[in-house]
Amino acid sequence: MRAILSIILLLAALAASGAARAADSWGLPNEEKARFDAKVVDMLCELTGDCPADCGAGTRQLGLLMDDGQLILPLKNQVPFAGAADELAGFCGKQVTADGLFATNRGHKIFALQFVREAPEGKWQRANRFLPNWAAANNVDPKSPVAQQWFRNDPRVKALIAEQGKLGLGPEADKKFLGAQ
Amino acid sequence: MKPRFAAVLGALLGLASICAATGAVAAATPQRVKVTGEVIDSWCYLSEIMYAEGTAHHQCAVWCATGGVPVGILGEDGTVYIVLKLGEATANVANPAVLKIQTRKVSVEGDLIARDGMNYLLINQVIADEGVVHMTHADYGVQPFGE
Repeated sequence: MRAILSIILLLAALAASGAARAADSWGLPNEEKARFDAKVVDMLCELTGDCPADCGAGTRQLGLLMDDGQLILPLKNQVPFAGAADELAGFCGKQVTADGLFATNRGHKIFALQFVREAPEGKWQRANRFLPNWAAANNVDPKSPVAQQWFRNDPRVKALIAEQGKLGLGPEADKKFLGAQ
Repeated sequence: MKPRFAAVLGALLGLASICAATGAVAAATPQRVKVTGEVIDSWCYLSEIMYAEGTAHHQCAVWCATGGVPVGILGEDGTVYIVLKLGEATANVANPAVLKIQTRKVSVEGDLIARDGMNYLLINQVIADEGVVHMTHADYGVQPFGE
């Protein structure tokens, strides 16, 4: 539990910071720091040929297509509980330099994006754009506690947890289990 | 070289040039599959940053799916599939229909595209939904904060 909290606190601190530097270790399984150039592509477009002009305007998962044809779907950014689509949306169809961590586990090699810039010499951006985007969409200050705990305050999350409960078994099951703890 | 063969070869080379110039996408060949498994958060499960299965992880799975982390299905044989499409909707970042089925055991039919070690699933339809059946909270509490 302490390790999880440490990583989440680190992500929160990094999300609040604007500085860009080489990838930070998160202690992931078989972790490798990586920096590579790739083209930002719409995953569905790359895999099926269904290609809207703007990579889906933020509604689609975006991938990193390397020169050798290798396609990488980043699963994570630097904001707690958020993915990388917002971080790459502004680079649709462009060549970028991605900096982050590979981890190999359970038979899969996954990638967490920590920094990105337009190649070859664009300005580094920390992969935390999700947070200001979320704050703007929800009319709150991105530095406010509400935004920092976006995952507890998102209206979609609130509605789903109210309906399904934290355990997915309904509110009564939550009361019984959490009340007994 | 016979004139007809030369003409065909020229046409093919021309087509290849056009594709290269326009950046046209060559789609991968999908395989029709039926998959049964638990809807999971791909990052938490594959990174093992925390225990990420069943009821203990339901709330976190909702958080991550809403935050745009790719949603997966953990097949009964342990294979992880990344869901890139559900039904007609092509939105796969925080798709409301996908948010609703976190942690549920489902059987789906769709197209599987395997590429660079990942299994991407384009679901045509959910053919069975058994609901949330993987009870893990008694052993693991509520991940990751205990509440």
